[in-house]
Amino acid sequence: MAGRTRVVKTRSEFEGRVSEELALVQGRDLRAWPADAELREVGRERPRVDGVQRVSGRARYNSDLVLPGMLHARVLRSPHPHARVTRIETKRAQSLPGVRAIVHRFNEADHFAEEVRFVGDHVAAVAAESEAVADDALRLIDVEYDVLPFVVDLEDAMKDRSRAKRDDAQSRGDVRKGFKDADAVVDVTYRTSTALHNCLEPHGCVAAWDGDRLTLYESTQALFDVRSGVAEKLKLDVGDVRVLCDFMGGGFGSKLGDGHYTVLAAVLARRTGRPVRLFLDRHEENLAAGNRSATVQRIRAGGTKDGRITALEHLAWSGTGTEDGWVAGATGPSSTVYDVPNVRTEQYLVLTDTGPFCAFRAPGYVEGTFALESAIDELAERLGVDPLAMRKKCYARRDPQGDRPFSLKRLDQCYARGAELIGWSKRKVGGTPARTSHLRRGLGMATQFWGSAGGPPAYATVHLNVDGTAVVRSGTQDIGSGTRTALAQIAAEELGLELGKIRVASGDTDAPYTPASGGSWTTPSTGPAVRLAAADARRQLFEVAAGLMEVRPTEIRFSNGHLVAGRGGRKITVRDVLERFKNYTVIGTGARHPNPSDLRLGSFGAQFADVEVDTRTGFVRVVKIVAVHQVGRVVNPRNARSQVEGGVLQGLGFALLEGRVLDLPSGHVLNANLEDYHLPTVKDAPDIVVEFIPDPDARSNNLGGIGLGEPPIIPTAGAIANAIANACGARVRTLPITPPRLLEALRR
Amino acid sequence: MKPFAYAKVATADEAAGLLKQRNTRVIAGGTDLLGLMKERLVEPDRLVDLSGISQLRGISATRETFRVGALTTLAELAAHQATPPIVKEALADAATPQLRNMATVGGNLVQRNRCWYFRSAEHRCWLKGGPRCLAIDGDSRYHAIFGEGECRQVTPSDLVPALIALDATVVMRTDEGEDSLPLAQLYVAPTARHRREHNVGDDDLIVAVRIGGDALHRRGAYLKFMERATWQFAIASVAVSAGVVDGRAQDVRIVAGGVANVPWRVKAAEDLLTGERIDDARALAVAERFVRDARPLRDNAYKVTVLRELVRRGVLRLRD
Repeated sequence: MAGRTRVVKTRSEFEGRVSEELALVQGRDLRAWPADAELREVGRERPRVDGVQRVSGRARYNSDLVLPGMLHARVLRSPHPHARVTRIETKRAQSLPGVRAIVHRFNEADHFAEEVRFVGDHVAAVAAESEAVADDALRLIDVEYDVLPFVVDLEDAMKDRSRAKRDDAQSRGDVRKGFKDADAVVDVTYRTSTALHNCLEPHGCVAAWDGDRLTLYESTQALFDVRSGVAEKLKLDVGDVRVLCDFMGGGFGSKLGDGHYTVLAAVLARRTGRPVRLFLDRHEENLAAGNRSATVQRIRAGGTKDGRITALEHLAWSGTGTEDGWVAGATGPSSTVYDVPNVRTEQYLVLTDTGPFCAFRAPGYVEGTFALESAIDELAERLGVDPLAMRKKCYARRDPQGDRPFSLKRLDQCYARGAELIGWSKRKVGGTPARTSHLRRGLGMATQFWGSAGGPPAYATVHLNVDGTAVVRSGTQDIGSGTRTALAQIAAEELGLELGKIRVASGDTDAPYTPASGGSWTTPSTGPAVRLAAADARRQLFEVAAGLMEVRPTEIRFSNGHLVAGRGGRKITVRDVLERFKNYTVIGTGARHPNPSDLRLGSFGAQFADVEVDTRTGFVRVVKIVAVHQVGRVVNPRNARSQVEGGVLQGLGFALLEGRVLDLPSGHVLNANLEDYHLPTVKDAPDIVVEFIPDPDARSNNLGGIGLGEPPIIPTAGAIANAIANACGARVRTLPITPPRLLEALRR
Repeated sequence: MKPFAYAKVATADEAAGLLKQRNTRVIAGGTDLLGLMKERLVEPDRLVDLSGISQLRGISATRETFRVGALTTLAELAAHQATPPIVKEALADAATPQLRNMATVGGNLVQRNRCWYFRSAEHRCWLKGGPRCLAIDGDSRYHAIFGEGECRQVTPSDLVPALIALDATVVMRTDEGEDSLPLAQLYVAPTARHRREHNVGDDDLIVAVRIGGDALHRRGAYLKFMERATWQFAIASVAVSAGVVDGRAQDVRIVAGGVANVPWRVKAAEDLLTGERIDDARALAVAERFVRDARPLRDNAYKVTVLRELVRRGVLRLRD
């Protein structure tokens, strides 16, 4: 809303990392709508505003884009996990008809490393008249490698001290005393596999230059980060780079910035003077597009017979892949979820000569929650306590790590409702029999916490047109989660217009800045800015209308799409007001205000799993998942349920099916395709029951709701693992829980 | 993919003529061949497209014999009312609906194996002329538990074990004319001189598959084990068939897929069931005998457990 612009300090959490930065805001924020507010759009079930476009094939993804004169690029990738590139000979490739440019470390030294660090690392790139010609050219490039020693397996790498470094450590209380006070202690090691995102739309972009100005049509979750990343690498002004993404086919954290493909496409386009398309194929997606790194996690947990946890120690080792950057730690849940007096966590990062880590839907928390929630069940079993009762015993009323109150915590209601929906009272120690003698049924559950709640800076403008329609203008990208629909609902609510009158023009860095669509940030960051912009536009409209209706602006209210003045006064439509002014646009502006500094923001939830285990073959069928989550006000329950279903399915894949398989002697990925990398199919999908706790999180932001992108995947694997252990008495501590692993556990 | 010449033919004679040319391959549904060509595991100079030969497509069935043309799709075979139930059961679990709509019966019989070392362009495994099988020291979770050959690949087809369990014969057109032989005889473990999963030549044409006489009326079952609910080649599968007279089994066939270089039968296990009543104890004994000589690799002992259970359940299904 217009008003004095000022700088505010803001503290926020993104993918488990807390940071402070400065943001510009104007005026005052609006209060969140009260719980009992009668809202016409927000909180209502609405089909996606772009649903028909998507399902009819009319939605244009950047991977579909064809520009006039466009060339096609392909990347030559290292067959070695670790090697020095000593010579590259391109003569044969250059003479292939249709080849237009070849780049590598000897002619573009800034964009290729001397050393390749994993199988699939980029060595050279070719732009040619067709993808087939570019592909053929790759085979004609002769590269000499100086092959270097390598380690691809996390546990092999852990044995080499020089490869591991301590990244983070937290502690409170005195764990030694806590273990002394315990009636029982479990000391167990859990392992999780490297998971690959396998977005339906691969990574890539089309790059086109117009003089010194570069336009990138990129499949991305973070337009503005692609812009700044490419500007830095190509030494351009940020203002000379424009990034566009209208529709997007999945990112899950793997598209949070520019990639090697972005820069190589731009470089090849500059050399050839023509637009260049560079999208990865499925094989490359599985080598060079990031992953959820494998972990080894040791947990010691001690508890008393009355069900209290007295001490918790969580040591985690995560394989980084070869990029020396950020890796999401797995110990976060152990220090933040439960009220345990004595806690110690340590996180180690371990260098492996494999494709680099990148964010993957609640990175670290998915892996850590599986280990923590498994350990709690193991401890509860040892103590003869109901696992849900044990979690309630250590319910944290305040943030146990920062000692602040939560802005909202309804985890107790998630537990109660989830237990009711799954039939927890019928759970038996040792599981229950099923249809035949070799089948066993079991129930398990796990808790979810996620600290991301969005934040500034995020800006939007709302433009009211003379025909009574409005355009929401905001840079943000809709990565498939329904952002466009949510923003349209928020604007429609505040403007008093029908949803059909709102168009959301987003996916463009020439529009106002918004943060990346990661960390469950999109709706709680951009949504409040849109609401303020819409309110600002409405205020201006009312001022104009007041003049026409000869009343004060404060006397005007909205009713059924009409402006009504006073009690039973005149009614006019928005269109009536605006049509008096030919070619006039009312422009409202909005900026996301900072989060409250004295509260811990976050979302909570619980998932309950009902599984059937074939004890003779080790096959697990997930019968049902109940997911109850608290994220405050839900803007569109229909889209929100769909997000939870997606998270549960991805969590099920992580629990039972997915894992990158490496050939240790060669360092190659053996299952870099969708046939051998087993994602869950629709036939694997259980009955998924989704509910939300209806209370708004009134102090979080002016929507009263925070993000839901990541929470639903967090507890799924833990709930399934616990249900399997309950069903058949066999505890598998390594994900995915495959038939060989379960059969082995059953034998013990 | 390497460039290639392409010819679509209307008759089998025409195809046979073209197939005499060097480095020429037939293409039918293309569901396997195109993948192999994209990975450059095969690089034919010429493709002869058989899909226009209408005589090679379709099903004819009487009480005495069932005949399916080689170009009939898996979807068509699965949908036909005269198709034996055990074949239908096998096809229900084969690949995906999209693949079944394209894939042909003939192509299914000679598809290449799915070993990830064989399929990876970067690995020169024994079957591709390399010095040794890479699965033995590598990741062998999906590999053979039977046999002693150099190569540890396993048969990928769901259809083939079901057909062999019904004593199917395959009609081939070779240089010497039409010839018919038991389907099981197509499959031979690769040898150093013949590094192939079957002995169908590149210039041979598969014409049809035939099931005759008593076999059509046997009871049977097909059981397939996968890690997920669908779309995976069998970790282990078993086709079981037998005639059951007065509660006793005869003409017993137990054919396992996904566990050896070739569709795997254990005569001694079949004999254990022949002439016997089918009960829990007998089923378990047959299953134990079937896997007795298994020799798993480092990562795939679980396949023995799974296969034993599939055989046990398959035998018990004969009671129904």
